[in-house]
Amino acid sequence: MKVSLTRWAAWAPGIDTPDAWRAWAHSPVTLAKEGVPEAKFLPAMLRRRCTPLTRTMLAAAYACVDADELPRLRTVFASRHGSINESIGLLEAVVRREKLSPATFSHTVHNAQAGLFSIAAGNRAASSSLAAQEDTWACAWLEALTFLEREPSAPVLVVIGDVPLAETFAALVDEPAVPYAFACRLASAGGAAGIELTLAEADAPLPRPPWPHALEFLRWWLSDEPALVQGSRATRYEFRRT
Amino acid sequence: MKRTPCSLAALGQVNALGKTNAEIAPRLFAGDTSGLVLRDDLVPGRSLLFGAVRDPLPEIPARLARFACRNNRLALAALEQIGAEVDAALSRFGRARIGIVVGTSTSGVGDAEEAIAVRERTGALAREFDYAQLEFGGLAGFLAEATGARGPAYTLSTACSSGARALASARSLVALGYCDAVISGAADSLCGLTANGFASLGALSERVTNPCSRNRDGLTLGEGAALFLVTSDPGGVQLLGVGESSEAHHISAPDPEGNGAEAAMRGALTDAGLSPGDIAYLNLHGTGTPQNDPMECAAVARVFGTGLPCSSTKALIGHALGAAGALEAAFCWLALAGRSRGELPLPPHVFDGERDPALAPIRLTIKGETARVGAHPRVMTNSFGFGGNNCTLVLGTDGDA
Repeated sequence: MKVSLTRWAAWAPGIDTPDAWRAWAHSPVTLAKEGVPEAKFLPAMLRRRCTPLTRTMLAAAYACVDADELPRLRTVFASRHGSINESIGLLEAVVRREKLSPATFSHTVHNAQAGLFSIAAGNRAASSSLAAQEDTWACAWLEALTFLEREPSAPVLVVIGDVPLAETFAALVDEPAVPYAFACRLASAGGAAGIELTLAEADAPLPRPPWPHALEFLRWWLSDEPALVQGSRATRYEFRRT
Repeated sequence: MKRTPCSLAALGQVNALGKTNAEIAPRLFAGDTSGLVLRDDLVPGRSLLFGAVRDPLPEIPARLARFACRNNRLALAALEQIGAEVDAALSRFGRARIGIVVGTSTSGVGDAEEAIAVRERTGALAREFDYAQLEFGGLAGFLAEATGARGPAYTLSTACSSGARALASARSLVALGYCDAVISGAADSLCGLTANGFASLGALSERVTNPCSRNRDGLTLGEGAALFLVTSDPGGVQLLGVGESSEAHHISAPDPEGNGAEAAMRGALTDAGLSPGDIAYLNLHGTGTPQNDPMECAAVARVFGTGLPCSSTKALIGHALGAAGALEAAFCWLALAGRSRGELPLPPHVFDGERDPALAPIRLTIKGETARVGAHPRVMTNSFGFGGNNCTLVLGTDGDA
């Protein structure tokens, strides 16, 4: 299924406007390892309860679409690590046989960002949250396509993001560890120009960009290259302009 | 538009009732709660009932040692039951055409607890611990490696609706032509994090969970796995409809009016092209918490009235969280597969019999109850997750049984 990418927004420390991202895409550099967006669009009480990841992902989501669409679009939230940093403190409490904080526990479900977005935006539409190790971005795209398969006439907001893993687990993961989020609005393209994703079997893992796959996708989208191929394991995901 | 058929062609499952469909079905229809066990090792100072899987689980093969955690062993126990069908699909379609979409809320967090306990003692994580055990995507990654499937592989994690959502996505990936078959379902494992997390919310029952009772005081946690082989073949048990909604209400409590639940049920009926009267049985989310049951009963009554046979099966296996949606779809599958001479066996609603008079008076099934059905029996299952994520499925047969 061909889709049109009609809106996008991204956030990384110091790069948070479309012009800044265009400049980055033109001559990309590695991204800063620390930073959290202010997320002033959130009510103060809700903002206080948001983890750095939630603020980062919601900043991209809110910058991506107009206010009238925030309560209506179906959403796909994707993150490789999700709230694992918050889970570490809970795991240590479990090991020490201490009581857990119910608020922290509630915010460690993988769909916490989706749930808080739904509450903040008053959005009652279908929503999904996923993870797929190093292929999380391509699978988020596929999951958005499943929403369009079920209801082709309604666009989908895709939001992906991560923050660096805390020291407990950081050494176990060999992937660029930077805080970032990327959001895009996808709609069925029909006969118009769009992006087609095709899958094929891979012989070997593909070389990995020095920044997250979703931002490599953004770099590609802002370039004039015809196709982008990603895939960490046995599957090649090829995005192509049509 | 006529939908592509979505066959739930094979099913493997493991839970507190047993480790095969043949073992689980009679206990399910008998309302057997003997699978629940008292454990005092999960929540400090409390001895609580859990739907723990006591059967020995298969070992993770040595070549996949990085995935060796209880959650993946539960998934492997379900996978082994459909090994012949998965192998047949691999030869029929080719490995690149087989996808994996599964749900979990825990992944291997129980094993991460052990790794962190070692770290507290020694300063370093347990050597056998690998991040692939803990990260949510690891479940799909494990199943891809274990089966050799080389299509897309991802894990959905929307708390207690994860398992239902996985089947919805699997159906769409086949309909879109990205896969010819998808191994789909869910696995979730008992662990200190969820047990103490729900304890901190005051959500765990002191006794066996007691859905729809005036005495209900929370949920009983469980674990398990259910995996289906999803194809576009006609016949057998089919996934006919999917309904989805978000609550926009509260991170850990449902909208008391049940509007999100109602939207999910109505959406599933619309998607399946059915009317409320076409449904023969509803498997409730039915967690037995003070908040869930009133809103769910009210929503069910608004959609179906009070005549539809309904039950919660949470008292039999506990609430398996991320796997609940897949396990309850599996119970619906067993009911449909168990049809005989136009009678559908129904899982009984197991509770103390003291109906909460404040709940909408929906019809709860009793032991031994069957539903008289025509050539096309259709059943429904509800899953409502933390964060306000709802997913309702409709399953049915083509009438060839």
